[in-house]
Amino acid sequence: METVKAIGDFLTGLGAPVMLPIVIFILGVILGQKVSRAFISAITVGVGFIGLGLVITLLFQALGPATDALVKATGIQLTSLDVGWGVAAAIAFGTTVGALVIPLAFGLNIIMLLFKWTKTLNVDMWNFWHYAFTGSLVYLVSGNNLLLGLIAATIHAAVALLIADWTAKDVQEFFKIPGVSIPQGWAITSVPIIKILNWIMEKIPGLRDIHWDSESLEKRLGIFGQPIVMGAILGLLFGLIAYGFDTRVLTLAVQMAAVMLLIPRIIAIFMEGLTPLSEAARAFMQKRFSDREFYIGLDSAILIGHPITIAAGIILIPVTLFLAAILPGNTTLPAADLAATAFFVAMVPPLTRGNLFRSILYGTIIMIVVLYISSSFAPLMTEIAKSIGYAIPEGAVQITGLSGGNWIAWVLTNITKLFFGG
Amino acid sequence: MSANSNAGKVYKIVVACGTAIATSTHVSIKVKEFLEERGLQAHTIQCRVTEVPNLALDADLVISTAQVPFDLDIPVVDGIPFLTGIGIKEVIDRIEEILRSR
Repeated sequence: METVKAIGDFLTGLGAPVMLPIVIFILGVILGQKVSRAFISAITVGVGFIGLGLVITLLFQALGPATDALVKATGIQLTSLDVGWGVAAAIAFGTTVGALVIPLAFGLNIIMLLFKWTKTLNVDMWNFWHYAFTGSLVYLVSGNNLLLGLIAATIHAAVALLIADWTAKDVQEFFKIPGVSIPQGWAITSVPIIKILNWIMEKIPGLRDIHWDSESLEKRLGIFGQPIVMGAILGLLFGLIAYGFDTRVLTLAVQMAAVMLLIPRIIAIFMEGLTPLSEAARAFMQKRFSDREFYIGLDSAILIGHPITIAAGIILIPVTLFLAAILPGNTTLPAADLAATAFFVAMVPPLTRGNLFRSILYGTIIMIVVLYISSSFAPLMTEIAKSIGYAIPEGAVQITGLSGGNWIAWVLTNITKLFFGG
Repeated sequence: MSANSNAGKVYKIVVACGTAIATSTHVSIKVKEFLEERGLQAHTIQCRVTEVPNLALDADLVISTAQVPFDLDIPVVDGIPFLTGIGIKEVIDRIEEILRSR
């Protein structure tokens, strides 16, 4: 235990932009990457981290005061600003659990493959942030118990592999992509919800027979599908409500557009660093398990192009804003993740044989769950962000992320609070 | 058009996925590497699937890891093999063939 704590303290002391590259370098070399290649990858990830830090500061400075003003102007208690998956991931990878999550989840995956407990080889290392997020929350609520944090991240990663196996056939047949499964940390948490809703729906005469497969909506989407336009419009909307007719509204619109464009661009740098490692991991495993059937676990991003997913994702933007305003007890102000609403229903079409009606209905129910969970995570996420050095403006505003709203993290955090909370 | 007149040409490839970030970065890196090995130069533009129709107007090829639900004038190639490593040689052959014939 003492050693674990000592290692944890040392890594935390180094800070994310240093410790994550070190871990990635070591793992790359172990997996047989050339030292020069592993070094470039590692530094690239560090650079991505520093870039994210810069944009996150811009985001907080722009949106923090606006959220404050919005709350004061309207009296609605939406004090937890949704900072989006890019920021949530940066925070999750930025903790000690986050630094260790890549070798941890990969090691777990190898063990589970060896014992034939899973068929999925998860090469989607970027999305390990979801496991890190769960682990980081548990680490915090257990009073900085690194071992519990790592166990929580491991549980999330293991459940992800099992659910990926469970849905693999449906995903492969529906999207016609053989040999692939989806262990993405948030997507897998939607699967039991969808299965339960399917079971209920089949019991309701009338409702169970509704099947929409409209493909017309996304073609009318036009420029609104562009994150930069969505950012500007959201900025205008928030600004008008928060400040009334004031030049700050226009500033906010451009700042919000900047955030929507810049965060993804910088995450791409991060990805550039991670890609060779995930390639090395895949090659390493394919060489050793060549005689076995296994699925390559990929990002749910590969499912987002389906017309029904796109259509349901668009409809969910106003639905989510409306829900946030009317749900009693919700404190989450949906913002940055509104550009990613399609992710919240990515698993619905393959599990409902492409039913748009159910995608919208289930999506609405899923968003209610997500809003409540992300509201309950806001104080924790804000504290973690502060602890790893992000300057969050003082005031009533907290940060959260819709993409962090997964029930596995919620259940594990609450169990930890019950037994280990100080 | 003879193969020679394409010498030194930089092809424009649109790489699409759900986010324009994660899997499309992966594919962009890999496709540039593979094409370079075969003496072809490519410039990649990453985008979300919904942006494909606009960007495809002056491109040579679309590679997408997600479904592209639009009718386009240029060929669309499945990008999943770049992620799984399965069937990757066939995809690169196909891409090379498409580019050399343009």
